[in-house]
This record gives sequence, structure tokens and C-alpha cells, in this order.
Amino acid sequence: MPKYIYFHCLLFISLFFMSQNIWAKTIEFHLILENHVFIPSELKIPAYKKVKLIIHNKDNTAEEFDSFDLNREKVLFPNKKTTIFIGPLSSGQYEYFGEYNPGSARGVIIAEVINVN
Amino acid sequence: MCSRVLFIILMIVSTNVLADGIVVDKVYHPYVLPNEREFEWRLMSRQTDDNSLIGQRIAYGQSISETVMVEGYLIGEKTETDDFGLQAYEVEVRWMMTEQGELWADWGMLFEVEKKHNANDWEVTTGIIFEKEFGKASLTMNLFGIYEWGENLQEEFETEFRLKYRYRWLPQIQPAIEIYTGEGYFGIGPAFMGIQRFDGQKQLKWEAGFISELSNSGKDHSLRVAFEYEF
Repeated sequence: MPKYIYFHCLLFISLFFMSQNIWAKTIEFHLILENHVFIPSELKIPAYKKVKLIIHNKDNTAEEFDSFDLNREKVLFPNKKTTIFIGPLSSGQYEYFGEYNPGSARGVIIAEVINVN
Repeated sequence: MCSRVLFIILMIVSTNVLADGIVVDKVYHPYVLPNEREFEWRLMSRQTDDNSLIGQRIAYGQSISETVMVEGYLIGEKTETDDFGLQAYEVEVRWMMTEQGELWADWGMLFEVEKKHNANDWEVTTGIIFEKEFGKASLTMNLFGIYEWGENLQEEFETEFRLKYRYRWLPQIQPAIEIYTGEGYFGIGPAFMGIQRFDGQKQLKWEAGFISELSNSGKDHSLRVAFEYEF
């Protein structure tokens, strides 16, 4: 078997183990989807940190969270909580919407540098 | 961050490759959505100084769970000696191994079984899909092992490596650079992908790339185009 095969395998194995470096304390934020509206519609999160966004879909129908800005697409099953990992994001505004109800199910994530003092 | 990406790319590019067939196809992403259904069409055209080859694929795919997508293909080819016609059938399973964004990088696996039309020739492919986000850019890499055997094929094991570095500029236009290696082939070239959303889950995705083979002095260009309609 040619040497480069071993090299590529080694590279992927190395990257896999790098991936296991799980972010120990990911900060959690919560959103609610009710009557096809995300609450709150504006959510502030810390910039440059990975965030765990938990969305509780209280509607009886599924929705699909979609955001080109955040590079995320996720099905929100009815009456269930769904987790979406986002970031680390640079400071700025990141829009998202629900694919089934884009007129009402819209919101924005605001990533900002938070001064702990 | 950029230096890490550059390091990874250089490490891959600097390795020697042994190549011998059509490698330019598609760089797979690891993500699967539940309730996803799609029709797909792919075109690959390769031109060298003394040969031209055209391949097309049509497919229907459907996710069967939150993390597994199954797709069936009909593969047609026009070769130096044969007119365009059905060449093979393929079943593909893509498995999203990790939740997007949870780990340092996202991982998936691909399994494919292909049978030649009217011949007892088989090809099995399996491999790893990797994607890492760097702000508005994404690095996607595929490493596949391919085993072929049959009455008209010499039994052999090959590997293929594919890489895409994409900038998410606009939903409709996301420029990229793609690299393909395997079977004695080393190709690199510009590409782009885009997406247009319609009502609900309906959306049209497109990809195109123009890949030039670098290890030969003669002409060897590949054009690839793909459309996916998700609903």
C-alpha cells in the first residue's frame, strides 16, 4: 500500500482526536418558539465563545431553524427541545428564521464582547 | 487560524499520489437533516489531448433517521469507445457522526456499493468526511478507500482524497477551491456552490468546478456541475 495512504489516514486520525477536545463549559442560552414566533427575537451572546442554544418548540408543528449567517440548519420537532451549537462568533448580528413560517418566525443573535466588570 | 488551514492543505498537497481514473466528482459534506428528500443530477466532463469522457448521475435520496441519508443513483457514461448509456447503479449511505458545531470539527462517514450494468463488476467505497468552520469559511475533506472486483475488473484497492475550501459570501454564490487526488491524478481548481430557498423545506442547490490536472504536462481539464432539489 503506498505511503501516502498511511499519511492521509494519520492526518484524519489526528484531526479526529483534535475534535474530541470538547468545549468543557459551553454557555447555554434558551429560545422559545410559540405561535410561530421566536422569543426573545433578539438574543445577546458573548462573542468569540462557543454557545449551546436550546430551542423549545411549543407549537404542535415542526419548524426548521435556518441561518446562512450562522451556517446552521436544524429541524425543531413539535413540543420538543432542540440543541444547536453556534460560534465562536465575531462581534456582529446574525439573522435566522423558520423555513415554514418565515414571516413570523424570525430573530437575530447579537454577538458582543461582554465586559465581566 | 489561517495558518492551521494552510498547514493542513500543504501537508496533503505535498504527499505523492498514484492515480489512474476519474477522480473529480463531488466533495461531500457530513450533514444530514431529518425529513430530507432530494433529487440530484451531476455532470462530469473530462477532456485530455486525445480523449473526452462524459459522466452523468441522477439520484433520489432520503434521510431515514436524524443522522442517516440513503441515496440511489443511476450512472451514465460516454467513453472513448462507447456512446452515452447506462453504465452502473449505486446505493450510497451517508452518516452524520457528530452534531454540527459541538466538537472542534464535524465528522461523517460514507458507504457506497456500485454495480456495473449488465456485468458482474462491483465497487465498494467507504470513507471519512470532515468539515471545519473558520468564521465565514469552511474546510471540507473526504478520504475514501475504494475496492473493485469483478469479471471485467482487476481486483484492486485505491484511495481518493478530496478537499474544498469555501467562503460563504452570499447564499447564491459561495466561491471555493477544490483539490482531488487519487488513481495517479492530482487536480486543483476554482469552484462555487449556491443555494436558493423556496417555500418550506424546498430549496435548490448548485455546484460547479473547473479542475485542472497538474502532474501531467498535456491538457487534462474536468468540468463538474451538480444540482440538488430538496423538498
